[in-house]
Amino acid sequence: MRGAGKQVWAVLRREYVERVKTKGFIFSTIAIPLLMLGMIGLSAFMAMRSEQSQRRLALIDFTGQVGEEVARRMEATGYDLEIVGTQVGLEELDRRVLEGEIEAYVVLDDLTLQEGAFAYRSEDSPGRIRGALMESIVVETVLELRLSLTENTAGVRELLGGSHLNFERLGEEVSEVEEVSGIATGFAGAMILYIAMLLYGSFVLRSVLDEKRNRVVEVVISGVTPGRLMLGKILGVGCMGMTQLGIWAACAGLIGLLGVPMLAANIPEADLGQITEFLPGIGALVLLLVYFVLGFFLYSSLFAAVGAMCSTEEEAQQAQFPIMMLLIVPFMLQMFSLQGDAFAWMDWAALFPFFSPILMFPRAVSGAVAWWMVGMSLVFMVIAVGATAWVAGRIYRVGILMQGKRPTLRELARWIREA
Amino acid sequence: MTEAAVRLAGVTKSFGSHTAVSDFDLEIPRGSILGLLGPNGSGKTTSIRMMMAILVPDRGTVELFGGFPDFARRSRVGYLPEERGVYEKMKVLEQLVFLGEIRGMERKIVRKRAMEWLERLDLGEWAGKKVQALSKGMQQKVQFIGTVLHNPELLILDEPFSGLDPINQEVLESIVLEQREQGATILFSTHLMEQAERLCERVCLISKSRKVLDGNLKEIKRRERSGVVAVEFEGDDRWLGRLGVTEIEKVGDAHHLPLNPRVDGDRILAAAVAEGVSLRRFELLEPTLREIFVRHAGDPAEEPVLLAAGGAR
Repeated sequence: MRGAGKQVWAVLRREYVERVKTKGFIFSTIAIPLLMLGMIGLSAFMAMRSEQSQRRLALIDFTGQVGEEVARRMEATGYDLEIVGTQVGLEELDRRVLEGEIEAYVVLDDLTLQEGAFAYRSEDSPGRIRGALMESIVVETVLELRLSLTENTAGVRELLGGSHLNFERLGEEVSEVEEVSGIATGFAGAMILYIAMLLYGSFVLRSVLDEKRNRVVEVVISGVTPGRLMLGKILGVGCMGMTQLGIWAACAGLIGLLGVPMLAANIPEADLGQITEFLPGIGALVLLLVYFVLGFFLYSSLFAAVGAMCSTEEEAQQAQFPIMMLLIVPFMLQMFSLQGDAFAWMDWAALFPFFSPILMFPRAVSGAVAWWMVGMSLVFMVIAVGATAWVAGRIYRVGILMQGKRPTLRELARWIREA
Repeated sequence: MTEAAVRLAGVTKSFGSHTAVSDFDLEIPRGSILGLLGPNGSGKTTSIRMMMAILVPDRGTVELFGGFPDFARRSRVGYLPEERGVYEKMKVLEQLVFLGEIRGMERKIVRKRAMEWLERLDLGEWAGKKVQALSKGMQQKVQFIGTVLHNPELLILDEPFSGLDPINQEVLESIVLEQREQGATILFSTHLMEQAERLCERVCLISKSRKVLDGNLKEIKRRERSGVVAVEFEGDDRWLGRLGVTEIEKVGDAHHLPLNPRVDGDRILAAAVAEGVSLRRFELLEPTLREIFVRHAGDPAEEPVLLAAGGAR
């Protein structure tokens, strides 16, 4: 019909402009990148601090046998070791620790040779990982020393030195970096999709509900058909979401562009090339966009239908529960598969259109499923968007003009049939 | 162009066990102005909502411009609902521009016209304010502008004047009449009889979900003669006693004489002439709408809301 596009455009623009102008939008749009920046800054700051002070250790060796080897190995893991002579008093070392000159000092003595026990004297505990690392260095060194005293132990030494898990992938060749990058991108993408569909979907619900509650819709509907109103609304909220995500992505890009080289300059060992390899490629970003657009249409039409059948905020809270489940279930499944509990049936569950964005996107970018399954999920989603929009549109058309209690399932079915 | 602007035939609508509108027939010819009168809860709003296809009648048919009130026909209507629905967070002018735009008006044109209307209704300086900053009465005026902005052929106004001060009521009344001059058909509901009497050419009275009567106001009044003659004269009033009329009431300078089967107007006039008093006024009184309503719809005590004195609610 003539003017349909214009009407949808008018609704879209109103929805978009009114939302983008709100304090909530402006605040969250600015706050999230700042939060990102703050977190990155904080962790960089922490990293640099530990770089400077926490890595300076002193070592005092009363055995006269393992000290140098232990120090060498610890230095290999990134510590800055200073071997002090046994004539230096422990009180002197204590003072240096308390004054912050060194982080800690390690004492090796006869007990070390017998039982592998050693002292780590510091203000703070080394933490479990660092502690375990040191323990293994000391024990290995002592073990090697003891073995070398007894017999020919070349074979045993090799065994000690070379324990390694070599993961060998069957099938397609994927580099390790690519795989890690794929998993990270997949997880981040699933997270973004989950939050975006939930957040922007519920904006659509709120918008529909508000219009219905204050009865503006009764006036608006005399100028524009319900279908166009719903479409314009969904598009308007969608554009707002894209704007927000776009701003965030741009901020993330900017932080990456400026921050990564800065970070790299401060950490000499960091390999810039390796960092960039972890970033998602253009293909993954396009796929993310496609899943977002389809998923948003799918869910926002459901949310619009729920908004149209309710009359109060409380009712809407309850009525949106099934939709939330549709989002939460795949998210939980995705968490399981991230922890390694992936089952083959999950790949098939990822074909269910309502699950596809959250389940299929990570599988697609980490190369866990065949490309045809990804394609199939997109086709299914397109079909589902059409079908859902049709059903939701009918519920919407009747619902926005209904006041009073929420319809039963039987009534809903009648709306869909008769609308 | 001969079909009625609005036609209801045998329309019935119930909500659960409560019948809101029962077997309602109504026809509003094009170009006329009709007042839908009745107390609160008599079914005015339900009828209007059925005309706008917001509610679907259980029985009977509703027609706008000779057909089902589909989208194309509804878009020729300016509708002011009873609930004052507005986008509270939107600015006044932007809200009006939006309402015009969805009806296919050009943005520039609608902006200019909305501004003219705002100026006319003394809201010019509020154009850039959010709607929620306006008083209820001002919001109502904004909404009213939204109703007439696209020059609709038919105005359906549900209690358009309620809640407004007399000055603004008058302003809106004059706009309604002006729209009428320009050829629009107008239907408005009210529970204020005096207002309907002032504005309407046709009225439709409903009470307790049923239509009491409808038609041209003048014809109704002629038909529904009050049966009272008012006479004013100079001279002796003893001749009145000889007329055979009981319950003569003195209202100001006038005597109100209720007629009865043996005494009609001619007889009173002849008696006055025969007596030789000098008549200043002789008038067959028209009933007020209120009297007509009470006569048809029953005991006024049962309709306290309706019969509360006129003026702003």
